[in-house]
Amino acid sequence: MRRPAPTRRLLAATTGIVALGLLVAGCTPTDPNEPVGEPRNGGTLTYASGDAEPSCLDPHVGGNFPQALVSAQYLESLVSRDDAGQIIPWLAESWTPSDDGLTWDFTLRGDVTFTDGTAFDAAAVQANIAHLQDPTTLSSTGYLALGKVASATAVSPTVVRFTLTEPDSALLESLSQPWLAMESPAALERSQDENCASPVGTGPFIVQSWVKQNAITLVRNDDYVSPPADAGHAGPAYLDEVIWRFIPDSASRYAALQSGEVDVIDNAQPDTIVQAEQSDSIEHLDSPRPGAANRVELNSGRAPFNDVRVREAFIRSANVDDAVSSLFQGTATRSYSALSSVEATAVSNAALFDYDPSAAAKLLDAAGWNESDAEGYRVKDGVRLSVEFPVSTNQSIPAEQSVFEQIQATAKETGFEVKLAPMDLSSWYAALASNDYDAVSAPYTKVGPDVLRILYHSDSIVPAPSGYFANLAQVSDPEIDALLTTAARTTDAAERNSLYADAQNRILEGFYILPLYDQQNHFLLRSNVVGLRTLPTVAVPTLYDAWLNR
Amino acid sequence: MAEPVNRRRAVLRVIGPMAARLGGAVFVLWAVASITFFAVRLIPGDPAQAVLGGPGSQASPEALALVRNEYGFDQSVLVQYLAQLGRLATGDLGRSYALNQDVGPLVLGQLGGTVLLAALALVVAWLLALALAAWSTRGGLVAARVGSGLEIVAAALPHFWLATSLIVVFSIWLGVLPPISTGGATGLVLPVLTLAVPLAGFLGQVLRESLLTALESPFVLSARARGESERGVLWTHALRHASLPAISLSGWAFGSLISGAIVVETIFARPGLGRTLLNAVTLRDVPVVIGVVMIVAVAYILMTLLTDAASRLVDPRLRLA
Amino acid sequence: MSELEVQADFAARAGQPGRPRRLGVAETAAGVLALFLLVSAVAPHLVAPGDPLGIDPLSAFAPPTRAHVFGTDESGRDIFTRVVHGTQYSLVIGAAATAIGLGLGIVLGTLAGMLGRVVDFTVNRFLEVLFAFPGLLLALLFIVIFGPGVATATIAVGLSTAPGYARIIRAQLITVRSAAFVEAATVLGRTRWQILLRHILPNTLAPLFVLATLGIGQAIVWAATLSYLGLGAEPPTAEWGALLSAGRTYITSAWWMSFFPGLFIVLTAVTATVLGRSIDSRMRHA
Repeated sequence: MRRPAPTRRLLAATTGIVALGLLVAGCTPTDPNEPVGEPRNGGTLTYASGDAEPSCLDPHVGGNFPQALVSAQYLESLVSRDDAGQIIPWLAESWTPSDDGLTWDFTLRGDVTFTDGTAFDAAAVQANIAHLQDPTTLSSTGYLALGKVASATAVSPTVVRFTLTEPDSALLESLSQPWLAMESPAALERSQDENCASPVGTGPFIVQSWVKQNAITLVRNDDYVSPPADAGHAGPAYLDEVIWRFIPDSASRYAALQSGEVDVIDNAQPDTIVQAEQSDSIEHLDSPRPGAANRVELNSGRAPFNDVRVREAFIRSANVDDAVSSLFQGTATRSYSALSSVEATAVSNAALFDYDPSAAAKLLDAAGWNESDAEGYRVKDGVRLSVEFPVSTNQSIPAEQSVFEQIQATAKETGFEVKLAPMDLSSWYAALASNDYDAVSAPYTKVGPDVLRILYHSDSIVPAPSGYFANLAQVSDPEIDALLTTAARTTDAAERNSLYADAQNRILEGFYILPLYDQQNHFLLRSNVVGLRTLPTVAVPTLYDAWLNR
Repeated sequence: MAEPVNRRRAVLRVIGPMAARLGGAVFVLWAVASITFFAVRLIPGDPAQAVLGGPGSQASPEALALVRNEYGFDQSVLVQYLAQLGRLATGDLGRSYALNQDVGPLVLGQLGGTVLLAALALVVAWLLALALAAWSTRGGLVAARVGSGLEIVAAALPHFWLATSLIVVFSIWLGVLPPISTGGATGLVLPVLTLAVPLAGFLGQVLRESLLTALESPFVLSARARGESERGVLWTHALRHASLPAISLSGWAFGSLISGAIVVETIFARPGLGRTLLNAVTLRDVPVVIGVVMIVAVAYILMTLLTDAASRLVDPRLRLA
Repeated sequence: MSELEVQADFAARAGQPGRPRRLGVAETAAGVLALFLLVSAVAPHLVAPGDPLGIDPLSAFAPPTRAHVFGTDESGRDIFTRVVHGTQYSLVIGAAATAIGLGLGIVLGTLAGMLGRVVDFTVNRFLEVLFAFPGLLLALLFIVIFGPGVATATIAVGLSTAPGYARIIRAQLITVRSAAFVEAATVLGRTRWQILLRHILPNTLAPLFVLATLGIGQAIVWAATLSYLGLGAEPPTAEWGALLSAGRTYITSAWWMSFFPGLFIVLTAVTATVLGRSIDSRMRHA
């Protein structure tokens, strides 16, 4: 260590908190539609998604982001989260954990019914938890989130009791996610095919029809009563109907928005965002996803990155700032944190990630990589300093792949040979499972700081039956393990936050990761779409408050 | 020889080859099914994993066991092969790994969009090719050169480049045509043009050559000698004569349109077989890939049978072959 | 019929004696272009001295100017340099795919054309089966099994063009076999293989060269299509299809990123067609 750690940690925490304040203030959706008058009822809004079309509209099955995007329009969760990161009531009015943290009683709203007429009550919650934990449901995301939940049982019609195997400080955050939303138990009784085609929830819209590879049609739920506590209005939604389309080609998607064929698009590319910001007819909504920031993880489980000096040298040799500003054209902010800027617990430390090729060169010399070969790459014991970097073309947008190319080009100047290998998802997972990588970037969305335990606890190096493991930096540090395990059991907010801050500092100072920016989540909308916002849980848009100013 | 025997022979002469061709068609289908079945055995990885959303999904061991049993992955290859053939014989294409749906209805549901697109593109391509061929065969050397040049360039245009160029010009710069299908007719213009222009380039080349040959043939000379107008000669005699190579090209045009549909449906966000296939390939959704391939093979075989019969009807000489 | 057969068929007919030779200007232009492409492939630094991978983030997304005649891409790399340096990838992929397709075609075609009825029947059935996977279908099936990438895409394109070559070669062999000079050789007591080597192959090889020229353009377009669909070469490789695929993302703001690589694909395909026909027609007149 070149500097005394405690000072640095304090400094880091301070920087983090300041940065956070700025980011929270800045992340409220830009709303240039201020003086537009009273919301108007009616009309059809067309939403065009660039994400893959889900194979099942019930997010209990599997559980990915495309499912979350659409299901947020017709399904609702027990709790939600506000812009400040506080858990707020939704279908559950209140909750009380027992002193040992092993029993949680949720009191539910008594006035809610599913859109098929079934009452929303404690028995319904019990059925949903059972559905998520049933192996035949084939749930992944929801199943993992309920890892510490032994059972949920109806105590009375409006009180449901969760029994845990150990205290879980992330329980509320987990339950706020769209993958654990509540569905009609009567609908869940149907075959999985039927439920996948038309899941039934309590949300502001109802799934009316789904023509595969074309569109999902949602219609307004006229009996809607249960908006989350931070919604813009009460009662039914303004829109009559929502057409949810899938346009995978980003150019076609933007052109469709420009021509007015569609009203809202997601996965907007940086150049179109810049164009839209100069346009009067299109607005931009920027809503970074929670959980982990996008970062390059350095595999500390094998050479050369098992040496902290080589890890730091790599990080110092990568000119990320220039790459981000040229490729994202001001639409993404550089991150210096393991967590997304929307997480209140995020700790940021810019000083650790300065671009400094001369420092990098000294570090490599010290680590024994002090010779160079004919092509200018560093060599040690006859071995070239190579970094295998498999890139998933499904998970990294084109601009991000270009960031990696620029990192490759700048790291080369210091003597790193970065071998970028773009590949499809199956090959990418195969490369990770066979430990055939030195650097990798994998997004991870989860509400709250518990994502740190999934990504950096040494337990996560142990592969699942599929060969997948989440700790791709292969961080194996007993101190980090202890901090994360304790934090996951600590329900006191202040204590929990300080444990997570300590863990993050240790991760950042170990140079296991090179943070890039938040998980980008940009929406473009026609200016006559008013009131669109994203849910602060996983940053999916909600069309409940949206109306058409036509 | 007695009259009925003669007629029976004539009928046999048509039916015999057709029966042989039908037998051949069944053979081709069986071979296609077998090749695809054994080929996909070569895919590394656990198909049960693919059903559960790929290796990143962190599926539990219970779920994996469940899926293996449900899909019969735990049975021997021979049993699976026979089961697959049995299912195919009854029209059951199996179940998609990724889409949570039976392949048969899925593929059939996507068929309409592609057929509409391909049919329109074929018609437009023929109109373009006819117009260009007719113009350039009658317009002298310069027109012939320009026509020939246009055809070569059109035939060389990759679908993906043409599609994006059309979107940039007509949707983004001029803003006159929608870049995606919205159900209306205007949404079809750009995708149809994308498919039709390169095809027209090819058809035009063949057609113009046939026309030139026909225009120099004795029957056209005699028609001219009878005093028929040039336009009359072109449309009634020469074009009819030129239709034979055109019919025999339809099978090829079909394959070309299917390849094109893969690109066009993706770029213009149209539902259809091509987009389904590409999605399935990227997800390694084997049953859907097999399903689309089988449907295309059936369509291709039907197409060749039809064009064969049509050629025999148009040209009596072929009946003897 | 395959795309190739249509081309070959056309070339054959256009080459018939008595037809006006109308490719004079086009031939010259194609020759110049072919030369340019060859130099670009063999010695790209002569044409574009810059580094195709050299980034310059500060001059990203520059439209075509005198300094960057084709503009720059998202990392500030010069598109002209990348297109020129990409020539070798595209030409090698096109040539390799054509070699694979033609090689398989020669084997199958020769078997069918030379070894009597039973083999002919079997090979023909096999070709019919292959033809039931029209166009890119066979290539996609191959890729789903062996995974995407440059090598698989090249083999896939080669495989899917093979049946077309095989059928042309078979037809050619049968025509040549029944020609008078071959019959004369048979009468003189030459063995089947002697005849194949001395008489038939030389008379089939020249048209094969034409076929290969025509086919290479088509193979480049198909390989580029696979790259465009994300199943072939991947950026930052400067293969034209990959360049185009990278440019597609920025099509609304930087049209030059996809226009110029596409233009080169089209020009190459046109050059191949024009040259193929020209060679064919010259050989027939010679």
